[in-house]
Amino acid sequence: MALAPARAQNAPAPGQPPLSKSCQPGASALTAETPLPRVAEALAKRKSLRILAMGAAPGRITARGGGYTELIESILENAIKGVDVVMINRGVSGELAANAATRMKNEVALEEPDLVLWQVGTNDALAYVGSAEFAATVKDQIAWLKAHKVDVVLVGLQFAPQMLRDAHYARIRDRLRAVAAQENVIVVRFFEAMQTIEQAQREGAVPVAEDFDRSEAGYNCLAQYVARAIALGVFAKAMPKRELPTAPAK
Amino acid sequence: MPREPNAVDFWRGFALITIFIDHIPGIVYASYTLVNYSIADAADLFVFLAGWSLRLMADGGGRHMPTRDVMLRLFGRALELYAAQVLITMLAIALLATSAIELSNPLLLQWHNAAAVFNDPVPTHIGLAVLTHQLGYFDILPLYVVLMLMAPFFAAIDRLWPRQLLPLSVALYVCVLIFRLTLPTWPVNGTWFFNPLAWQVVFVLGFTFAREDFGAGLLARRHIGLLRVLAVPIVILGVLVARLDWWPDPTEVPDPKLFFIADKTYVTPIRLIQFLSLVALGSLLFPYIRALADFAPLRRPVNGLIGLLALLGRNSLYVFCVGSLLSLIGQIVRFYYRGSVLIDTVVVILGIIIMALTAWLAESRQRNRPAPPAPSAQQL
Repeated sequence: MALAPARAQNAPAPGQPPLSKSCQPGASALTAETPLPRVAEALAKRKSLRILAMGAAPGRITARGGGYTELIESILENAIKGVDVVMINRGVSGELAANAATRMKNEVALEEPDLVLWQVGTNDALAYVGSAEFAATVKDQIAWLKAHKVDVVLVGLQFAPQMLRDAHYARIRDRLRAVAAQENVIVVRFFEAMQTIEQAQREGAVPVAEDFDRSEAGYNCLAQYVARAIALGVFAKAMPKRELPTAPAK
Repeated sequence: MPREPNAVDFWRGFALITIFIDHIPGIVYASYTLVNYSIADAADLFVFLAGWSLRLMADGGGRHMPTRDVMLRLFGRALELYAAQVLITMLAIALLATSAIELSNPLLLQWHNAAAVFNDPVPTHIGLAVLTHQLGYFDILPLYVVLMLMAPFFAAIDRLWPRQLLPLSVALYVCVLIFRLTLPTWPVNGTWFFNPLAWQVVFVLGFTFAREDFGAGLLARRHIGLLRVLAVPIVILGVLVARLDWWPDPTEVPDPKLFFIADKTYVTPIRLIQFLSLVALGSLLFPYIRALADFAPLRRPVNGLIGLLALLGRNSLYVFCVGSLLSLIGQIVRFYYRGSVLIDTVVVILGIIIMALTAWLAESRQRNRPAPPAPSAQQL
């Protein structure tokens, strides 16, 4: 935290990753700016950033063949000039939060990341893990990460219109949001963002994605939201809070 | 005629049922499986017993076979496992797709690493074919395929330089731990969940210990009493670690860290030692379980249990494949019916019945074969 002002003086003006047009309606995915002190410190000291990605692995999400984590890496490298971002993908699909938490500790020890990007909740919701148990797991893990000087960005549950009616799914989403707020960590609200985009598509504001293409497009947007959340988190102390711009990406 | 129940088949059946339950995340019965009381779990047991069975195959099932024939036979077995992996993966993809369509829920297309299959089918199908893309919970068989591809070389080394096999395997394992060597996944950038370069040591240990008259196997049998005494505190410690969450903080252990942390991907020494301790103690159990059948009121249930597990164990490839698909079906059913103790119970009971039926059908098929030219080697 103490290093943040020094970072502000030395750093070039922070670039803010733009959102592509189809992803703009979902900018509500980003909660208030939350500082990422370890990330800021890494950038100030070594101009590099190690991000450990845990959670689902969606495969290619851009026409040129890039994956979700590769896209985050490239957006961040474009937005923060001169920074070398290393993404370490250790997602195990289908894994519950409790199992991911145990594995994450080993991965943190082995990979020494500055930031953990943790997509969490969907598998627990689909497996009907109790919401209190889920919240306790996430909370303990955030505390462990903080104690070990690793920042964390949570990525919330995936969206499908059918899940709007699922009470357990909603409970897990609520718990995740509450834990993130309580622990003051960023949560990218993937579900809400996709819901908003779907609404915008229905109203004709953005192009409509085919039903089964939505996950691909969703992860493309998610990569943009995550990159923006990280960039905002890095400079959260240096810059006054502001509205999220809605200028389309070039 | 199928062989009589024995300890190897019994424990392999136990491992198969445990893996089936463990692969249904959230199911209430997963709280009572081995992994809740141990650092090692059923995967270690499955791979160890696969190595044990390799001994029977490599030794030619009692007949003398030239080394070249043994190597060809093991390579053929690797191809058989590969075919099984491709088949169950395609069926799993079809299951997820069918469920997504029938339940009108595209979320199911993103389950278990399937998103890349549907989002990016061109490279992902190459990845599926060359095993660098694995669905979640369908990642043990790819490990087994790689181990079986190594098996002809293990068998050849064992014949030519029997004292060198275990040291070579351990040397590779140590290098893997020091340099963190692993296999990459593709097209999704990552690493194999089960690192074959590390897990080969479990396989070779099973292969080595299965030999009664030579090397580590002979040594272990000679000193089994002492080994069991040493194993008791280790197993108890393993239970405490698993139950009370006494895991050492992995960030505070010295380098190379993999020597000091409990990790499944690399089957690290802590896990391996605890597993071998379990084997030392567990090898005591089967005769006692069988002896329970001498007690009249328990005869039927005990014989039934032994018969069931041995039946599953004798036909483990078929049972494993069907069990993997049943685990996925179990997850979909739990999702659809919103998980409850009742649903979980139905899923587990039906799953075990279908696994047993699979094994029975496999044996019926063998029984009805006209005059086999040679006894079938070993089911794995």
